[in-house]
Amino acid sequence: MQFEQQTLPNGLTIIAEVNPSAASMATGFFVRTGSRDESPTLPISGVSHFLEHMMFKGTDRRSPFDINREFDEMGAAYNAFTSEENTVYFGAVLPEFQDRVLDLLSDMMRPALREDDFQTEKKVILEEIALYQDRPQFRLFEKLMARHFGEHPLSHSVLGTPESIRALKRDDMLDYFNRRYSPGNVTLVAAGNLDWDALVAKASSACGHWKDYSVSRDTPENSGTRQSGSVVDSKLLRQHIGEMSAGPGAQDERRYAAYMLAMILGDFVGSRLFYALIEPAIAEEASCSYEPMDGTGIFMTFISADPDRASQAVKIARDEYDKFMADGPTDQEMTASANKIASAATLKGELPMGRLTALGFDWVYRQEYKPMSDHIEQIFAVTSEQVHELTKQFDLNATTTLTLGPNE
Amino acid sequence: MAEEFFTREFDNGLTLVAQRMPHVSSSAITIALSAGVSCDPDDSAGSASTASLWLLRGAGDRDTRQINDVLDSLGCQHHEAAQSEHLLVSSAQLGKNLPELLEIYSDILRRPRLSDETFSPCRDLVAQTLDGLEDEPMRNCNILIREKFYPPPLGNHPLGTKESLADLKPKSLRSHLKNRLTPNGTIMAIAGQFDWEKLSGTIEKHFGDWEGPAPAEVSTSPAQQGTTHITKDTAQVQITLAYPAATINGELYYAARVTQMILSGGMGARLFTEVREKRALVYAIAARYHSLKDFAGLFVYAGTTPQRAQETLDVTVGELRRLAEGVSEDELARAKIQLKSALIMQGESTSARADALAGDFHHLGRLRGLDEISRAIDAVAVNDVMEYVRAYPAENLTTLTIGPDKLQAPNPT
Repeated sequence: MQFEQQTLPNGLTIIAEVNPSAASMATGFFVRTGSRDESPTLPISGVSHFLEHMMFKGTDRRSPFDINREFDEMGAAYNAFTSEENTVYFGAVLPEFQDRVLDLLSDMMRPALREDDFQTEKKVILEEIALYQDRPQFRLFEKLMARHFGEHPLSHSVLGTPESIRALKRDDMLDYFNRRYSPGNVTLVAAGNLDWDALVAKASSACGHWKDYSVSRDTPENSGTRQSGSVVDSKLLRQHIGEMSAGPGAQDERRYAAYMLAMILGDFVGSRLFYALIEPAIAEEASCSYEPMDGTGIFMTFISADPDRASQAVKIARDEYDKFMADGPTDQEMTASANKIASAATLKGELPMGRLTALGFDWVYRQEYKPMSDHIEQIFAVTSEQVHELTKQFDLNATTTLTLGPNE
Repeated sequence: MAEEFFTREFDNGLTLVAQRMPHVSSSAITIALSAGVSCDPDDSAGSASTASLWLLRGAGDRDTRQINDVLDSLGCQHHEAAQSEHLLVSSAQLGKNLPELLEIYSDILRRPRLSDETFSPCRDLVAQTLDGLEDEPMRNCNILIREKFYPPPLGNHPLGTKESLADLKPKSLRSHLKNRLTPNGTIMAIAGQFDWEKLSGTIEKHFGDWEGPAPAEVSTSPAQQGTTHITKDTAQVQITLAYPAATINGELYYAARVTQMILSGGMGARLFTEVREKRALVYAIAARYHSLKDFAGLFVYAGTTPQRAQETLDVTVGELRRLAEGVSEDELARAKIQLKSALIMQGESTSARADALAGDFHHLGRLRGLDEISRAIDAVAVNDVMEYVRAYPAENLTTLTIGPDKLQAPNPT
């Protein structure tokens, strides 16, 4: 594995992890923008995600159909995703298509944003919002984020609402693009079997003319609003419960201990929640995960249970958290969790697509390169004292709670 | 570069198939047991799903917690799933941990405790998952369409019904599993980092003296098919369609895969272009190919808001039928390169390879190399696609919708 890095005069940084034994290469533009960057001064919500769709809708050189067709002609596995803080456009191809996929992706990054395409795609976005309305866990997550983060920008919905999307104008989107897609706010990332010199040459010719301007982001601290509430939906059969509490941010070295903590408490199998809730079938789903974000982080617990057992399930989960905060993890739990994390990371790291996101986010959040083996070493270096100490710094029971289902 | 394939058939009927992948450190295993959903006894629907949980609730000298602890300590990313034909037990981990996992798997498959105390929670979890499906209409309709399309019991609901689960008893499930968890007909597929001689010896040690009957064949009855609507107050109407396709062991298999790619390979394929890009009727639309040993289908999914549902159904069916008017050389070329490229990328994942090896052996009784598949894909011409479309037209569609209102069934042509 060889790491390479270069920054073009206009501020676009290019990074790559070259692995000549891979069968494919993956590449993508990582834009440091998402719903949290949708300024409250604009009367819009969901523009980051809508824009991500519009990036596939053509450029001065290409129609929307050209873009899809060209990806397909390369046999590419390609897509894009938008979160609260990142928008990523990626494609994985056989090495022979490296130049062509870069030509296409970099052209897409300067979109035409045509009015008629904008109006057509608006309907697709409204369908996407409707789709998620039929997924209770997603609805719960979105409402829980809004409640937990309150006035903090991470409360902003990624999809927006039907009202905000209908009200959005093409010029608002262009304005957002012109404030967020500066080359200094974008990283071109590549992993797998690739030609580094050719990559830099192509990026220079295709992206070197992008105009640089300054982009900023507010990253205030946040410890959560700690409010509880419920959304009653009598059409649902199950009670879906979400709890969120504060955790270390993506730049905080305590994140390794936080991953261990979430794994011990709430992995799908073999965790404390598993034995307390799933094994005895008190709940069908009970999991805890940790999500590091820019300047802050969250622990999330999701439970799905029969409505009449939901409050029992929540009480049991709380008791488990109390016990964990009092006693900390066992050595057996520490070893098992480190092994699970290391194994999952190794498997993901064997695929260029898996490496692409890890590599990209290491850079976007910390401007660092870390081989997968270094991450794994750091996971194994976490001590049980560090995990226990973390629960004193981030109270797991200081939660924002929301339930969605037939009961209050 | 040719793959390093290995095969060994044991006297007890167990088949081991393997692919060594020199550049990886992981190793994945998939064990396909003839104990899938279609093998559930008639009055005990949900057996395979319950078994997929119950098997891990203690085996050999270890109780549930000890099983989980040892799997975790080996870093096993394990998964147990009740599919139509097979109960699948699979795991991916570092290659060096594979021998120890095999010992644990021999306990799980040969010496599971299957105790009365652990039975009820497993069955209750299946019942709760069944309830949970009601809250997720998209997942639900993709299960229900198989039930309508395939000849029973091949498409049977993996979770059974509330009633069948309530009637399920530990004693009868134990005796069912005794006849079904057997080396006879079981496929064990391994891909990744290993030394063949050692691996083969380890498997012989743990499974060589495993004994069991030949599992009874599953007999089928005619499929229900037709049109089904489930009235439900959902945000989107869930539309699913299915019609017959060539099976993996069928002559027109590669033409079937190319046809599916022309319909739904990438964002430039017909369904995405016509239904989403041009008309913006949906966010999600896809046609998937699914094959059992003797039956296969193209399954189409689209989700859209109620006022646009009829148009979505009509345009979608129109696209399926428009194939009969011809396909272009360009479309064919795109479909072929997408298939080949997906195959090569799948070849980088040990889990995907282990699943593919098990699938090849189940469907064909042998393993296919990349070269063979590439040549077969290359050989598909426009004429072959047209012959396929005539042999497997989009007629007699099985349709299933979930939403506020019933739609008009597509007209026969």
